Amino acid sequence: MTGITALAIHLPRLRLQRAAMAAAMGWLCPRGEARGARTLAYWDEDPITMGVAAARACLAQVPQARTAIRALTFATTTPVFAEPQQAALVHAALRLPEATRTQDVGGTMRCGLLALHGALESTDPALLIAADMPLNNPGGMAEMRYSDGGVSALVGGGPDLLTYRGGASLSAPFIERYRVPDRPLATDWEERWVREEGFLDLVPRAITEALAKAQLSAADIDHFVLPCVIPGAAKAVAQAAGLSRAKLAQPLDLECGDTGAAHALVMLARVMEDMHPGERVLVAQFGQGATALVLEATDAITTFPAAASAALAAGVTEGNYLKLPIFRGLMPWERGLRGRFPVNEALTTAYRNSEALLGFVGSRSPETGQVQFPPSRLAVAEAGLFAQTQQPCPFADLGGTVATATADRLAFSRSPPNCYGLIDIPGGARLMMDFTDPEAERLSPGDAVNFVFRIKDLDERTGYRRYFWKAVAAPAPSAAD
Amino acid sequence: MANGIKDKVAILAMGCSRFGERWDVGQEELMAEAYLEALSHAGITPEQIGAAWYSSHYDDIGAGKAGTPMAQALRLPNIGVTRVENFCAGGTEAFRGAVYAVASGAVDIALAVGVEKLKDTGFAGLPPASRGTFAPMYLPTHTNPGNFAQLARAYGTRHNISPGDLKRAMGHTSMKSHANAVSNKNAHLRKAITVEQAVNAPLVADPLGLFDCCPVSDGAACAIVTTPEIAQSLGKTLVLVKAIQLVASNGWEVQSSGWNGSYVHTARIAARRAYAEAGIAEPRAQLSFTELHDCFSITELVTLEDIGLADEGTAWKRMLDGAFDADGTLPCQVDGGLKCFGHPVGASGLRMLYECWLQLTGQAGERQLGNPSLALTHNLGGAPAQNVCSITIVGAA
Repeated sequence: MTGITALAIHLPRLRLQRAAMAAAMGWLCPRGEARGARTLAYWDEDPITMGVAAARACLAQVPQARTAIRALTFATTTPVFAEPQQAALVHAALRLPEATRTQDVGGTMRCGLLALHGALESTDPALLIAADMPLNNPGGMAEMRYSDGGVSALVGGGPDLLTYRGGASLSAPFIERYRVPDRPLATDWEERWVREEGFLDLVPRAITEALAKAQLSAADIDHFVLPCVIPGAAKAVAQAAGLSRAKLAQPLDLECGDTGAAHALVMLARVMEDMHPGERVLVAQFGQGATALVLEATDAITTFPAAASAALAAGVTEGNYLKLPIFRGLMPWERGLRGRFPVNEALTTAYRNSEALLGFVGSRSPETGQVQFPPSRLAVAEAGLFAQTQQPCPFADLGGTVATATADRLAFSRSPPNCYGLIDIPGGARLMMDFTDPEAERLSPGDAVNFVFRIKDLDERTGYRRYFWKAVAAPAPSAAD
Repeated sequence: MANGIKDKVAILAMGCSRFGERWDVGQEELMAEAYLEALSHAGITPEQIGAAWYSSHYDDIGAGKAGTPMAQALRLPNIGVTRVENFCAGGTEAFRGAVYAVASGAVDIALAVGVEKLKDTGFAGLPPASRGTFAPMYLPTHTNPGNFAQLARAYGTRHNISPGDLKRAMGHTSMKSHANAVSNKNAHLRKAITVEQAVNAPLVADPLGLFDCCPVSDGAACAIVTTPEIAQSLGKTLVLVKAIQLVASNGWEVQSSGWNGSYVHTARIAARRAYAEAGIAEPRAQLSFTELHDCFSITELVTLEDIGLADEGTAWKRMLDGAFDADGTLPCQVDGGLKCFGHPVGASGLRMLYECWLQLTGQAGERQLGNPSLALTHNLGGAPAQNVCSITIVGAA
């Protein structure tokens, strides 16, 4: 039976303080809950970039699995594009084999776990990515509770960390939350009904069926993972399902918030840090039905890195609530003339250079060993003319060193100042790159950097966005690096 | 075998519009202002001009593409007009075209005009330039202050200059140019400032503050060039072209890690070639004054070293000692430079030559230097890591 061979999360570094959210909106929508913080994706992060970051960290755990992957599923309730397929972009950024079945799934926050269920029932090595950034009405409780993050799980392709014992997915037209395509903000129904008629009815039934498939009883379960933003509901479900011995996984609400489609596996990543060989975890999630999966830790679980704890602890406190609506494009702001400069995406150019732009692949001259970006017909060389001989050279995992840096207050940025500079890359390459993340201004000549896949530009007129790689301080602040 | 441009072409006359926020005129009037002044000094009629070169950087917001905007604005007599664009070296590029035309013997008299109408864009600072379809997909959204701020940080790091010392040296650079421009009626900025004002100004791109940056200006400048023989026959004081060198980055600085970011590679090459072309062995002793491309204060400091007028790592000290002030040993930007005369991109190279021509013919008025004989102009178009650099040397016969 197959299982999970690697799992990694990515959390944006900004931690928007709920007290700051209450201070900004409490006059309008008084809320008692103002403890802790929720993650806030930086302006250049979205489900695609968070998913790529999580998947890079996941693949780093089993490097040899990359070429074996046959299926890639990208799960989110907040897709960047209705078209094109986001999995195709993620696939290119990860430089996975061309013969990979790619698909997007969504529609419910359970989509990530549903995809994992499918992968676990299959025999093909598969990479699952779930990343989400649920948006809710300003001032509401849901805005405080939901947050941004991503996760990636590798199924097959190596020795299991968790072996799949059995699972069940039930479907029901239970609509507790909805959003139509042209409206970015979701509407939620009354939470007592969601708890009583939704969680407490559907999840225990899925658990019962999953246990039956696994030929186990509730008493055999050591850990129980169930994301739910309604306080106390997960504990009530555990009791209703008879999971009296199981340790209830932390919802991570104070450090992180609920990352939607990613959150069941984000919670699982944290739980796996504490698991011992032979222990069993039941992972469930709710949404137009429920999924429950039973997994059993192998001896390899002791090698699982504590990267989730590190990511949870690597936050940067953010006390300005307005960054949420500004970063998410929910309110107009004065961009100045430089912010009106058009982003004209030439799709022909983008495809012709997609390996360089999405995969961050430069080239190496076999004659001189000189590495360069972007690739070109004629090598950058003081030594002479070398044409048509260059070999592809992937840069994403190489990292680099800051050669020059500036914090530019004149250039347009959604989070000024705009920080950038020349980066030296092992092999003698150099590239002027954007610096990103909330502490980009600290980068100075000589500092080591890692590379992260981020939004390069947004076209305000069409909604199109393009992606490229940026430099962040090393060691990277997220689990991705 | 080529033997260079030295002494083959003379500047017959020059003209320059008033630079600044010229809300009163468009690019056509600016060109006419410079051209009519040059024509009045030249003692020729338009029909004697055989060919023309026209420099303008921003075709989309300026006068438009091709040679027709200038041909129409100046009502030229149906001659060939070639539009050139080479970033901030465009004005010198137009001059180079005209000089080469005369030197080749193709024409007796040629015209070079550079113009930029920046204040119709609404931008503070230069507007973003188009960079094709591919480069914007990976290059940062950068500005020129940001590009040259990187030069400042690398220069300071390379030579172990404290941030405070570097700020003061940059502040002196700007203070000196402001002082020089006070008496220049054509200059954009004519107010004196103190070093303290420069040092304490708001940051634009760390470590460059507001007074480390030149303004963007409307303006035009014009040169009429001919053979030395024709110039002499018209009774002119000879101002001869001694050297013109133009060097474009080939990607080495920006794509490979061989360059340390603290100097401008192309400027060193252009200077070496220009001194060789002009036969100058001791530039510090032989040059009377310079007009450098002080788009930012740091550019002037670094260029002084790149072209051999200060030892590497010492220009900041010599600047603080006043060596490049108007009354220093080697005056730099006696007309105020880009910093205060202003910087209409396509015109700046010709504006520098205008000052050289004024000084070498004794027409510089209040800022006239004593007996200058040899002058150097320098343009740097683009960023320190990727640019077009030009150096021109002109002098008496």
